[in-house]
Amino acid sequence: METTRQIRMTVAWPWISTAARLVLAAVWLVAGSLKIGDLAASARAVHAYDLMSYDTAKIVGAVQPFLEIALGLLLLIGLATRLTGAISAALMAIFIAGIVSAWARGLRIDCGCFSSGGDLGVGESTAYSVDILRDLAFLALSGILVWRPRTRFSLDGVLMGKQ
Amino acid sequence: MSKGSKERSARARQIVAEQKAAERRRTVTLWTSVAVVLILFVAGLFGYTVLSGQDDGKVTTPSVAVDEGTAFATGTGPVTVDVYEDFICPTCRNFETATGPTLKRLASDGKITLRFHPVAILDDYSNGTQYSTRSAAASAAAAEEGKFIEFHDVLYANQPPEGSSGLSDAKMIELAATVGLTSDTFKNAVNEGTYKAWAAQATETFSQRGFNGTPTITVDGQVVTGPDKTVPNTALITETIEKAAG
Repeated sequence: METTRQIRMTVAWPWISTAARLVLAAVWLVAGSLKIGDLAASARAVHAYDLMSYDTAKIVGAVQPFLEIALGLLLLIGLATRLTGAISAALMAIFIAGIVSAWARGLRIDCGCFSSGGDLGVGESTAYSVDILRDLAFLALSGILVWRPRTRFSLDGVLMGKQ
Repeated sequence: MSKGSKERSARARQIVAEQKAAERRRTVTLWTSVAVVLILFVAGLFGYTVLSGQDDGKVTTPSVAVDEGTAFATGTGPVTVDVYEDFICPTCRNFETATGPTLKRLASDGKITLRFHPVAILDDYSNGTQYSTRSAAASAAAAEEGKFIEFHDVLYANQPPEGSSGLSDAKMIELAATVGLTSDTFKNAVNEGTYKAWAAQATETFSQRGFNGTPTITVDGQVVTGPDKTVPNTALITETIEKAAG
């Protein structure tokens, strides 16, 4: 027997997931478009984490903004939502790990999440905890999509027909 | 047909329909997933291609530049001091105010070879006018006219704040005139951005050497930092230079 509450949640989930999908799409589109104009700066932001050689950072820094925008567009139209949600979650996990490692090593950098990042000047302070909390929130949104990928206004819905 | 068998066949049709729907969902999931992976792969590949295409710009390297064409030297002392700076970086300006005069004196006393490396890592901080790149390029043009230090100093003395639009090309030319730099060659180089590609390349070399921030100061190739990775003060730098001199 379904309780009223369960029925209500069954109705509500697609809407919650839709909101998560659209917010996440916006996050990726903004993050990607802020980096795409200056790939050299994007490479320097990756390099500032001091986790890979500059030549590798250059490739990661160039590929990342294009991936972010593509992922944003896929989420926006709602294609293979569970998969794009899972990829979003994986990327967020990598970003969080990167920030934690920079923090642990005492690096003084801008995370470069929504900018071209890089080293901070003397007067500037790091914002690692804020960056991590924000990325955790995005990770949670991605998690919702993996768990409940059925959303409104999605290409998935159109392709699968009425469910 | 009895009422019971009617119900059974209706139930059977429903089951078949449900199975078909489930099958369709599986097929759609499979192919949309394949499509997503392909799209992301192509997007990444596209980024990589754009990156590869960017290296083809024609670079005009100033003839007076030393150290793989990235720096402008003053003095010929035995100890080499390299200073990597961005013209809009406030910390660099503080460093110039605090330690610049001492370094220039050591260079003119024949104690050190002082090499300035203009780099452009803060283009995002000048309202889209790319002051970091423009100023670094202009300093290369000044170097070609034998006025690098003078131009360098006047730019720091008039440093625009981060987040402003920086100094315009016209303003840089005007400031150059106050230090006796008035040639048409210089003005044209600034107006046409002749050395912009050079500035990008010098910045690339800076990154390839493993540096991230400005100012970065090295003495005989070794990075000098103050406590907690801060900018070193004058005392620490002179001490390091004396040690290097032996």
